[in-house]
Amino acid sequence: MTDPRIERLARLIVEYSLELGERQILRIDAPDAASPLGLALYRAALAAGAFPYTNVSVDGLLEILLEEASEEQLAYVSPLQWHEIETIDALATVWSEANTRSLSRVDPGRHARFLGALRQLSNRRWERISSGEMRWCGTLFPTNGHAQDAEMSLERYEDFVFAACHVDEDDPAAHWRLVAASLRARADSLESVRELRIVGLDTDLRVGVESRKWMAADGRYNMPDGEVFTSPVETETEGEIRYTFPAIYHGREVEDVRLRFEGGRVVDAEAARGDDYLRSLLDMDDGARVLGEVAFGLNYEIDRFTRNILFDEKIGGTMHLALGSAFPQAGGANTSGLHWDMICDLREDGEVYADGELVWKAGRFLEDSPTPEPVEAAERG
Amino acid sequence: MADPRVERLAEVLVDYSTGVGPGQIVILETTPLATPLLRALYRRVLAAGGHPHARVGLSGVAEDLLEEGTDEQLEWINPMRREDFERADARIYADAEANTRNLSGVDPARQALMAKARQSLRDRYLERASAGELRSVVTLYPTNSAAQDAEMSFAQYEDFVYRAGLLDRDDPVAAWRELGERLRRLAELLGRTKELRVVAEDTDLTVGVEGRTWIPCDGKENFPDGEIFTGPVETSVEGRIRFTYPSSFAGRMVRDIELRFEGGEVVEAHASQGEDFLREMIDLDAGSRRVGEFAFGMNDAVHEFTAHTLFDEKIGGTVHLALGTSYPESGGVNQSALHWDLVCDLRSGSEVYADGELVYRDGAFLPDFH
Repeated sequence: MTDPRIERLARLIVEYSLELGERQILRIDAPDAASPLGLALYRAALAAGAFPYTNVSVDGLLEILLEEASEEQLAYVSPLQWHEIETIDALATVWSEANTRSLSRVDPGRHARFLGALRQLSNRRWERISSGEMRWCGTLFPTNGHAQDAEMSLERYEDFVFAACHVDEDDPAAHWRLVAASLRARADSLESVRELRIVGLDTDLRVGVESRKWMAADGRYNMPDGEVFTSPVETETEGEIRYTFPAIYHGREVEDVRLRFEGGRVVDAEAARGDDYLRSLLDMDDGARVLGEVAFGLNYEIDRFTRNILFDEKIGGTMHLALGSAFPQAGGANTSGLHWDMICDLREDGEVYADGELVWKAGRFLEDSPTPEPVEAAERG
Repeated sequence: MADPRVERLAEVLVDYSTGVGPGQIVILETTPLATPLLRALYRRVLAAGGHPHARVGLSGVAEDLLEEGTDEQLEWINPMRREDFERADARIYADAEANTRNLSGVDPARQALMAKARQSLRDRYLERASAGELRSVVTLYPTNSAAQDAEMSFAQYEDFVYRAGLLDRDDPVAAWRELGERLRRLAELLGRTKELRVVAEDTDLTVGVEGRTWIPCDGKENFPDGEIFTGPVETSVEGRIRFTYPSSFAGRMVRDIELRFEGGEVVEAHASQGEDFLREMIDLDAGSRRVGEFAFGMNDAVHEFTAHTLFDEKIGGTVHLALGTSYPESGGVNQSALHWDLVCDLRSGSEVYADGELVYRDGAFLPDFH
């Protein structure tokens, strides 16, 4: 029998995240390992009256391209890909890898050139998504590879993933509508804040956010979701932060990152492991030392680090601050080839002050702060 | 260790069958079951300077669409697929099914609706193929499902498939060229013929072929290959034929098919299994009652029936005819959304006459047919 949580996840993505309508063309990107979810998405899209099709990625082809293609082949963007990106109305991406480290030994320069060539396509895709011409949602289907990264059995990991999406409940869309309202209210309440001060273990950081727009990540672009974020004022970050979780970029882990900011820029950086990699990324370009994002993780079903950014950045009770490119829709102006989300655990004794007032303690917004309850409390209350 | 025969198959398909060159767009279509072949093809296309595009579908999608889709969804043609067929320089399609009977429970009328809707796509594809703009080859990658239909173990079936592709020879491409030469000489001889008559048990069929072109098939469009075919004169087919082999078509099995023709059209059709489906297909459209192709199987490395048309129609000593659309390069003009090959074994107690002269007996052309 099919796991009913898979059917519910598919319907949630088609009906809630993508709001897929009749005659809309949906491309479902899913590797073979995710075929139960790929098929469930296909059926849910048929039921919505849409025109779905599946696009299965096969393990090993990307490695062959990266290792054996000529430079011209590596940088080639096909007219077929352009046509597709202009034509589809919606895209569901299912991340699901049998081996999350299969590209570990690939030449980073060739990988960067390949990604660089694809950027024109992904830019166009984001353009269409931002203008509302096209919808996108990314999700994950559990595999042993991802479970291994999370240091769990596959069965435990499945429970974790489906609980984070709330598809272990009868009506997940109802839950996510509540989340959306709660996150929107939270984001609205942060609009008036000029400066956040984050205090925690080896951390005392001031981040300017005046007149930036706070965005509610409510399950439309990612499933699971659950964060509010903005892009900080580029010149105002001051102080130091210690990231207690490993910071992962393109599959490589850097442990125990400590950063010191002055005038918005990183002036001092060290890591217990991966120090060289950290420094090389900070020197990638001019914008790599500046914060592009500050965010509160508010999904309290996600209660542990699993080495996957889709989940880690939403851990309830954490904040993440990303080095590199900012979000223009949030008012951010920093540009960089880097966007590196680093997660800071504030669940033990973290505090956050908004313009001097304590608004968050030990991983929760305060009951008496002038904003609604955290998501989970709102629903269960 | 990887099966070296998979590498050889990929080499022959890319270098010989489709002749991929630098800068060419190559569509690789298959299922996840053929991953080893897909990887080998992807490598070989890169080595030839081409741009490979993998088009891999999820197994189960066709059943869902046929069972749950609305008519409008069944009739929808994916514009990305249209663009593929419009832009590609080459296409390699590898059949690799998990279950060849997956559509057995589907309403044949819905399959007919879908087939009809996709005809324009097929027409455009055939048009570009016969103009030489799109080089396309169909092959099979061994799966347990195909082995099961062939009533073989998986390992035995692999041997069968690669032997049929002449991949056990020292130089498979040279072997295909040699067979091609033989078929070209035969094509010339048959080109002078006005009418063929096939006589076997429960079979006496005449087929007009005057003015039509015989096409030798040497591994460029099917792989394995080894047949010679033409598109018969559309109104000419008369008599009856009993197909000795069952036909596995569109995800189901049809057995003991017998057809009677008058004036080129099927006027009577029977099958011991799948008769409803047979009738639905024959009634598909105006061209589905006529013969679009008549052919001799000429691959002597294929001698057993394996319930897969790609192989069965090539068995040395058989003939096959296809109901439905004809290939324009043969001079045939019949048009239909259908192209269904049905195979008849002629290896014992059978004769073929060309304009009254006996030219073929018990599965082989006579030495004095020249």
